[in-house]
Amino acid sequence: MFALARLLVVGFIVLTVIYVCVSLYSRSVRRGKLKAEWDEAQMTGDREAWLKQGLEEYDHSLRRKLIWGVYVIPVVLVATIIYVVNHS
Amino acid sequence: MGYIKWAFWIGFWLIVGGFFHYTLPQHDIVRIVNTYEERQDLTDWTRVFWSVPDDQAESLINRDVQFIQAVKPNGSAEVYRNEDTGWRWPPYFKFDTANLYTEANDAKSTKAAPEWYSITHYGWRNEYWSIFPNAVAIKPVAGPDVRIIPWVNIIILTVFFAVVWAIWVRWRRFRRARIDPVLEDIGDSFEAAGDSYQNTRGRFGRWVDSWKSKR
Repeated sequence: MFALARLLVVGFIVLTVIYVCVSLYSRSVRRGKLKAEWDEAQMTGDREAWLKQGLEEYDHSLRRKLIWGVYVIPVVLVATIIYVVNHS
Repeated sequence: MGYIKWAFWIGFWLIVGGFFHYTLPQHDIVRIVNTYEERQDLTDWTRVFWSVPDDQAESLINRDVQFIQAVKPNGSAEVYRNEDTGWRWPPYFKFDTANLYTEANDAKSTKAAPEWYSITHYGWRNEYWSIFPNAVAIKPVAGPDVRIIPWVNIIILTVFFAVVWAIWVRWRRFRRARIDPVLEDIGDSFEAAGDSYQNTRGRFGRWVDSWKSKR
């Protein structure tokens, strides 16, 4: 059981690092896109508030939630391997 | 300098290739001949080629290991070990060693009436080090000439090389934008320093020479 605990702990740490990195990167990409959109449409008014609103919309979007796949995919993969190797 | 660079990259890719060759699953079409259990001493450096089953204390220096003996269609002998990988590396998550042993015993056939099986395994056979590939699964196949397409390996290697390529492209872009200009700068100032040293050496050398007795 020690090996399982080690796999879970190390896996959780590694995946969390990946999750945080991908989250920050994705958010910065969205920010860049919003800025480009602002400049392209030559909008006027409160730019910061508009950016903030755009990022808040992003926080509730499906794209943001897809990053949870960083945790989901490896778990599904391991479960699939266990099934294929031991039960078929 | 060029040779060192080449040697480094050849060595690097040999290690990567060896790692994948050891770890990825391979299929052998074989006829299973027999199975046996043998006590193995696990004291020397070849310990890394044996598993650490979960219920086994790490300090254990010898234990029984199951083996599966098989013969390839061309007559060459193959021996596989049968061990749990558990939750450890490589990530096969194999727990059904006892079941596989039973299946292997059930799959024995004679030369006169051969039954062919595909053994999925990873690892290397080396007679001098007494190491064995680990059998992961046994499946009956139609005959000795069945061709098995290694989909798992194709997918894993494709993903791996895609990642390597992505890193390599970004690194090159980064180097061209950030590092090459700096190196050129350094190169320029280094040359300048070399020139001025030459001048200094000229004067200093002349001064030193002036102290030497002239013969």
